[in-house]
Amino acid sequence: MPGWYFDKQELKHTPSGAAGLDYKTEMRYRKEGARFIIDTGMKMDLGYNTTATGVVYYHRFYMFHSFQQFPRFVTACCCLFLAGKVEETPKKCKDIIKIAKALLADNKFATFGSDPKEEVMTLERVLLQTIKFDLQVEHPYLYLLRYAKCLKGDKAKLQKMVQMAWTFVNDSLCTTLSLQWQPEIIAVALMYLAGKLSKFEVVDWVGRNPAHLRWWDMFVEDVTMDLLEDICHQVLDLYSQPEVKSSSESPPPGASRPAAASPSNQSTSRQSNGATTSTTASSASTASSTSEKTQISPETVPPPVNTRIPPPSDVPYPYQTFTHAPPPISYGTPVSFAPPVNTPPPLLGPSPIPSLLSAPPPNAFPPFVNQPPPFTPVVPPPNASFFGNGLPQGHTRHRPPFFPP
Amino acid sequence: MAQSSSNGQDKSSNTYEALNKIGRGAYGTVYKARDKQTGQEVALKKVCIPLSEDGIPMNTLREIALLKQLNAYDHPNIVKLLDICHGQQIGKDLMMFLVFEHVEQDLAMYIEKHTKGFKTTEIRNLSKQIVHGVDFLHSNRIVHRDLKPQNLLVTSDGHIKLADFGLAKTYDFEMKLTSVVVTLWYRSPEILLGLPYSTAVDIWSIGCIIVELFTRKPLFCGKSENEQLNEILRVLGKPPKDEWPAKNAPIKWSSFDINEKVDIKSIAPSMCENVLSLVMNMLTFDPNKRITALEALNHEYFLEEPINT
Ligand SMILES: Nc1ncnc2c1ncn2[C@@H]1O[C@H](COP(=O)(O)OP(=O)(O)OP(=O)(O)O)[C@@H](O)[C@H]1O
Ligand SMILES: [Mg+2]
Repeated sequence: MPGWYFDKQELKHTPSGAAGLDYKTEMRYRKEGARFIIDTGMKMDLGYNTTATGVVYYHRFYMFHSFQQFPRFVTACCCLFLAGKVEETPKKCKDIIKIAKALLADNKFATFGSDPKEEVMTLERVLLQTIKFDLQVEHPYLYLLRYAKCLKGDKAKLQKMVQMAWTFVNDSLCTTLSLQWQPEIIAVALMYLAGKLSKFEVVDWVGRNPAHLRWWDMFVEDVTMDLLEDICHQVLDLYSQPEVKSSSESPPPGASRPAAASPSNQSTSRQSNGATTSTTASSASTASSTSEKTQISPETVPPPVNTRIPPPSDVPYPYQTFTHAPPPISYGTPVSFAPPVNTPPPLLGPSPIPSLLSAPPPNAFPPFVNQPPPFTPVVPPPNASFFGNGLPQGHTRHRPPFFPP
Repeated sequence: MAQSSSNGQDKSSNTYEALNKIGRGAYGTVYKARDKQTGQEVALKKVCIPLSEDGIPMNTLREIALLKQLNAYDHPNIVKLLDICHGQQIGKDLMMFLVFEHVEQDLAMYIEKHTKGFKTTEIRNLSKQIVHGVDFLHSNRIVHRDLKPQNLLVTSDGHIKLADFGLAKTYDFEMKLTSVVVTLWYRSPEILLGLPYSTAVDIWSIGCIIVELFTRKPLFCGKSENEQLNEILRVLGKPPKDEWPAKNAPIKWSSFDINEKVDIKSIAPSMCENVLSLVMNMLTFDPNKRITALEALNHEYFLEEPINT
């Protein structure tokens, strides 16, 4: 949806900033709010789509209002409440508040005032107006699964890569990436990151064409390596941020990202000397910060985050704690996926870190939200004929949607 | 929270200045208005949303989401939605304003104005645009359900824009302003019979409208469901008995005493073979046998050289 992407400069000049909040704190508020939406959504068995939609509303909201004026956890509840309705997974406002009360420290819950439900309900209209009624939001998940279907190679490795990318997509909600780049691009970047970290190199893919240097050239245009690395680093930065609340704990080993200053230009120059530097999103000045960052490589494994639960010893990466067997990936031609709202793939059972679930400390940063769903249950919804039964599928129809008269 | 009222409410009256009422339908009132900042003329459609215990109902939100999403395609034959804003809350009802681009007139006025009738090429042009717009809705799985000349807008340069789909149609029965009579003239047999219906109902309506473009008179004018069905069968003849939805229809096939049919051709003598064929495919009794919008776009009528009509 045009109009919802901002460049880094704009992200630094928000209403909160204008009202005196420093950028770091704003980023923390965004992260905590997103985290809180994710945790609340998870507690209420809301799917990843609803949760992600709520988080995107939240980020958009604070591009037009300040944290000083609108208490962030009230807004977060309202975003989840609205997303629930939009994604057809409605939850009662009072139930959301109940969870919020359980999750939040008393002083934070106090921002809900004496009539919390009224507070959230009143905000619904402000929220709707602020997000301009652009309620339908797409997320990288859909693209991640779609793209994964096209990749060839060792199945187990691919699956591991997809799961890791899924985790990164979850975590990316805590950044402002959804305000910067389309979901397609975020999906590509985080698959690229996961591929690097899991040492899964994609050398062949369905629909490969000599003009395509990389698999993602099939799906997105003019995405430079600089851009990909910038996106990856924004996610990786999450893992190296000190958690305010848990500062009393000893920092996990390797908590800061390797700061070796090998310039990232070896791989980028290959791409960026190509004809086009324009990208499909608004922000073109993305790569400015990447130069001082390390090249992403398997050694750039993000450090374990500040969850209080040590990762199981048998997982290849400290932050990856899937307990279930990875879902099978079915190969074949790229399928067109159903709109995410109608048929969210079911989650794979109970979460592997139950103790965090029962009482996630607001500032903790559990490594993932949901698990990647199996690929198979994603089916197109039945051809609904009534208005409101489904989502537009205009662009999935293989003919020009319309001609000028 | 004091701020919220200033942010969330009555943006409509701050932003738009209502000029005059331009339409009142069954579900809302439409005003011509001006954007105070830009001076742009807009059409403000006021709809009344019944609030539930949990705020704005899910269905309304879903429909708004869809309207907004459709709008992003910028289809040339769909009226542009410029803005949505809340009005006041009155009791348990929330006023909402849908702000559309203002379009000169609707097709009913346009037909009325053209006292000498339309050129055949113009009829084809208008018809094709209607089918285009409807095909767009259908490909997005939206059934308009109430296509009629009043809901088709015509711009000053003769372009058709579909209006009045989506919002508020889910409340069908409770929400009708009782003083307004809903016209049955463009309703398909399956709607009149109270049967389940789909996109084919819109095709039926287009069939009626195309004939009306030739005759400048509505094709079937019944005052009740029964009368409307009778009108339809009087002109088109009774369908074969096996096409009558025997199990579900509340009205028996045998209850219609119809012997011969009036030919559409005799109602609209200036219709050429191609348009007649298209219209007959649209006015097919069995919705499953009716032509689809996409098929209609590929019908001979829309492919022939302009000269031949
Ligand atoms: N964008 C517009 N520009 C100009 N006139 C408009 C516009 N939208 C609607 N109108 C006029 O207002 C009338 C009523 O509008 P509309 O059909 O949207 O409302 P409604 O109350 O839902 O009617 P209905 O009884 O068909 O449900 C239309 O028939 C048309 O004449
Ligand atoms: Mg109308």
